[in-house]
Amino acid sequence: MAGKIISKFFDIDGGNTIDVYERHGGYQSIRRVLKKMAPGQVTDEVLKSNLRGLGGAGFPAGRKWSFIPKDSPKPKFLVVNADESEPGTFKDRYIMDRYTHGLFEGIMIASYAIGANKAFIYIRGEYVRQAENLVEQIKCAYDRGYLGKRIFGTNFNLDLVVHRGAGAYICGEETALLESLEGKKGWPRMKPPFPAIEGAFKCPTIVNNVETIAYVPTILQEGGEWFSELGSERNGGLKLYGVSGHVKKPGVYELPMGTSLREIIYEHAGGLQDGRKLKAVVPGGSSAPVLTADEIDVKMDYDSLAKIGSMLGSAGVIVMDDTTDIVRALYVVTRFYHHESCGQCTPCREGTGWAERILKRILDGNGRSVDIDNLLNIAGNIMGNTICPLGDAAALPLKSYLTKFRADFEAAVSDRNGVGKVADEPVSLLN
Amino acid sequence: MVKVTIDGIEIEIPKGTTVIQAAEQAGIEIPRYCYHPGLSIVGVCRICLVEIERMPKLQVACYTPATEGMVVHTNTEQVLEARQAVMEFLLVNHPLDCPVCDQAGECWLQNFYMQHALHDSRMFENKVKKSKALQIGPNVMLDSERCILCSRCVRFCDEISKSNELGIFNRGDRAELQPYPGTELDNDYSGNTIDICPVGALTDRDFRFRTRVWYLSETESICPGCSTGCNINVHHNDQRTYKAGGSRVSRLKPRYNPDVNEWWMCDAGRYGFTHVDADSRILAPTRSIGEEQEMSWGEAASEIMTKLREVISVHGKESVGVILSPQMTNEDLFVARRFFRDGLGLKHIDFEVAPLTTGAKDDFLIKADKNPNTAGARLLGVGARQGSGMTVAEMLEAARKRKLRALYICHHDLANGFAVDVVEEALTAQDLVVFQGPNTNSTSALAHYVLPAAAFVEKTGSFTNYAERVQMIHTAVTPLGESKADWQIFRSLAKEAAISVPYFEAEDVFQALTAEVEAFSGLPYAGLAGQGIALRDGQALPESETVVA
Amino acid sequence: MSKVAFSQESLSEFERIVAQYPERRAAMLPTLYLAEKEFGHISPEVEVYVGELLQVPAIKVREVLTFYTLFASKPRGKLHFQVCRGISCDLRGCTKIIEHLQEKLNLNSEETSADLAYTLSEVECLGACETAPMMQLNDDYHGDLTTETVDLILDEKK
Ligand SMILES: Cc1cc2nc3c(=O)[nH]c(=O)nc-3n(C[C@H](O)[C@H](O)[C@H](O)COP(=O)(O)O)c2cc1C
Ligand code: SF4
Ligand code: SF4
Ligand code: FES
Repeated sequence: MAGKIISKFFDIDGGNTIDVYERHGGYQSIRRVLKKMAPGQVTDEVLKSNLRGLGGAGFPAGRKWSFIPKDSPKPKFLVVNADESEPGTFKDRYIMDRYTHGLFEGIMIASYAIGANKAFIYIRGEYVRQAENLVEQIKCAYDRGYLGKRIFGTNFNLDLVVHRGAGAYICGEETALLESLEGKKGWPRMKPPFPAIEGAFKCPTIVNNVETIAYVPTILQEGGEWFSELGSERNGGLKLYGVSGHVKKPGVYELPMGTSLREIIYEHAGGLQDGRKLKAVVPGGSSAPVLTADEIDVKMDYDSLAKIGSMLGSAGVIVMDDTTDIVRALYVVTRFYHHESCGQCTPCREGTGWAERILKRILDGNGRSVDIDNLLNIAGNIMGNTICPLGDAAALPLKSYLTKFRADFEAAVSDRNGVGKVADEPVSLLN
Repeated sequence: MVKVTIDGIEIEIPKGTTVIQAAEQAGIEIPRYCYHPGLSIVGVCRICLVEIERMPKLQVACYTPATEGMVVHTNTEQVLEARQAVMEFLLVNHPLDCPVCDQAGECWLQNFYMQHALHDSRMFENKVKKSKALQIGPNVMLDSERCILCSRCVRFCDEISKSNELGIFNRGDRAELQPYPGTELDNDYSGNTIDICPVGALTDRDFRFRTRVWYLSETESICPGCSTGCNINVHHNDQRTYKAGGSRVSRLKPRYNPDVNEWWMCDAGRYGFTHVDADSRILAPTRSIGEEQEMSWGEAASEIMTKLREVISVHGKESVGVILSPQMTNEDLFVARRFFRDGLGLKHIDFEVAPLTTGAKDDFLIKADKNPNTAGARLLGVGARQGSGMTVAEMLEAARKRKLRALYICHHDLANGFAVDVVEEALTAQDLVVFQGPNTNSTSALAHYVLPAAAFVEKTGSFTNYAERVQMIHTAVTPLGESKADWQIFRSLAKEAAISVPYFEAEDVFQALTAEVEAFSGLPYAGLAGQGIALRDGQALPESETVVA
Repeated sequence: MSKVAFSQESLSEFERIVAQYPERRAAMLPTLYLAEKEFGHISPEVEVYVGELLQVPAIKVREVLTFYTLFASKPRGKLHFQVCRGISCDLRGCTKIIEHLQEKLNLNSEETSADLAYTLSEVECLGACETAPMMQLNDDYHGDLTTETVDLILDEKK
């Protein structure tokens, strides 16, 4: 088994403090970078590492950095996405709590690479204690001269600001996040322009996930190639997998990219509770299409999961055993996306609520057999037709649960058919 | 320029043109709710999705720029399905109360729905409840349940009126359009939100339940409310007669003119047409010496001319003052000039009356000069400042001192520009006072003869706006009672005086005008309709320092 | 002019916050947090005040306030129980926890007790699924909940 990079700090007492971090070799990477490397070389190294964006989309981090216009006179910004709101995801919380200065060092290197002198950490509002820790540790870094002006005696200046969200999953979507950072509602923006060209405050901006940034110091310390080889093809390095649901040992596990889902569930997370069988597993946060028990030999990386029609997403693995009511699971997931839709786009705003109400009705024993195809149709009508991918995030579970577990849904509607009364008389739209 | 192909039609368009605009130029209308050419683009309603070759997903036509070689399809099965899906989504929480909705007949939900009809409803679920029939301002009613959250009205208030009254609160399908609690949608342009709301969420308080839109006809015109001359359509109900079943003119709507008002008009202009069907309309020529008595046009013309000739023969031509009005058309003023100045040889002719209270103005559409044709009157030289006669103020002073013996006053309520006693003293000192206009006022009350002039919706002619753009008004409804266009009244009088006014139509007047008046020379009558013609090639003039009423 | 105002202390904190951003409006969320801390909840007067501070129309403040779930526009209880109802917590029995709290606090979800002692909310995934079922009580997370541990927490906080 490969060593650990981030998670080795998880078990160290005071791993969040500057002293402990430095004692374990922290802040060496940035020193070297500032003295020996040009910004472009940093980006190249990250490109070589095959570090993917670990917030969900998996876009190669180095490629993204290279989109920052070199000749723009505008200030550049780095925004670290710590909104972590995709159900089943909790890895960034660990990083912020226990690898605090590792994250800062990554922020410093990334900012240097893209030419930013100001970085923001956008952290979900519920993470009150995490935000407090960040603020406190930022202060320590300033006190040491690691942040602020003339860092390590070089010409590099960097200010780091913690910005708290206020309860909106959509603000994890990078353009909604930028709107929120600017003091507005989290309404995702139309693209283009992409943030790298016009992001925060109309300036070139890189948005990266906490975990993406947290791997940067090690990459620059050990080399891109070294990091790349830890993982699978085109999916460099290690990765934090969060496992929750019906397993014996839920938690965060740092493993090579491409570790099999079976290994993660059965070896690391301790397998299912005794006597239970695996029914379904969501591999990458609740929006990732669900897998059946016989699909778990898949390698957990972006490309392998995409190949079987699912996605690595945030690598939040949600395990469901054979006691799970799949109809209810889909209802709970759909309720989430309905609750979190920002409400801009017609299909997402109306479709998520509609689907939730149908699922609720089925759960209440008033299902009709047409409901299943109607739900599939609603999902299809949302899919791909909205501004941001939240619409897809809502549609993908609908499609996959209803297709892969159709029998469960059919049983639910026939079991319950005719038992209760339909909420409302059907409304004819044509009169 | 870039070349794109839309539904097989190849067109060339400037770089930066969006697909929706390009399609329009190719004669293809892509449905839209949130897109409005005068507002920022948000791409939220998703009704305008189109297929673009080599793009994996459908794209919104309103936001996507058309690029060289792009091939767009607006009618494929996939597009139609997506459109139908958006329609269906929009109706998920829609109350479907068309039978009691004022928007019925001009609702974009209904319109597109007809084109993309669904065959059976799958709507078994309860709908999200929101507030209905809320009066959110002096002119606007809001029905939140009908709102499709296109945000057009919000963007209007943020970007055009810059008054920020409206917001969308909450999120998801709980999102609701509202004004700020305790405040109103009350700005000088609020009525435009009603025009741009694609559904029946924002409706006109004034128009609510008054008539069904399919009974309305439309006539192109110009708002007479100020010197901007916003292009409008007059919506009129030809089945309704004056004082029988309500007003003939139902509403005014702005008409697009990129050089004048774009898509907008102000509320003062929009709601300022009520005088057209008011009780104060003058219906017949009337003698008001002693007992008030209606007369025929023949009688009136002959009596007035007789008296006028008397005054002139006893006291001379300099004893008569003529007060024209910048509410009159170029044609009216030209005939007035021909009759009073050239025919009768009168000297004291003016039209400008500075109002006691300066009119409101802003840096958008509203001008302090509340007249549509001040520039025209100036160019026609019918003001004291253009000639050598007395100004209106001088005329009143001279009248008081009986240096003037007769006043011929058009449209003006002189009390708007002068103290009541000044007007009264002046007018009561006259041997002859004639008032001509569409409505009675405090000035007409002092006249010996009152002549009914057609209102702006009852005649054809042209106004010259502050920037010297000549624009046309058209007859929307027939003149009330005996009233007729001002120039026709002058023609009747001229006939009595054997002065030649050889015009039968407004067009004849216009032709003579262009032949005779330098500033208008060469203007083609046929070119005036629609967007009008700028005399100085669209060069806006600074607003004149004198403000006229 | 607004009817409320920050204390000197909050005002200087506000100035410090504003200085962190290239644009004044960006201080919206932190200022709303600050206002909530000072005034308990964000009333319409406070909205207006925040608008004045940030130089944006009050309606934009309200749009933001109502978009996000964390700000209190009405008074909330001293103890705010936010029980996670996300998928991982649901799989591990959050419904029981919610029902237990409803009974114990004698409240429905999304209600505040008349004495402003408690507010009970069901919230979406809080990002601590490894401890499901879990809840947030004011600023702190409590995981691996059972009805018994909930009772212990209640006893301790009462
Ligand atoms: C609805 C939605 C929610 C998202 N939430 C998060 C989030 O909580 N954290 C995150 O890092 N990325 C999230 N993302 C992905 C971001 O948009 C963006 O891709 C990411 O922050 C980029 O960083 P990365 O390249 O380092 O992954 C979300 C995307 C969507 C569409
Ligand atoms: S897809 Fe949903 S969340 Fe995303 S912008 Fe549209 S309405 Fe908002
Ligand atoms: S009220 Fe009308 S214009 Fe305003 S958002 Fe709703 S539908 Fe759009
Ligand atoms: S018109 Fe294009 S999305 Fe609304």
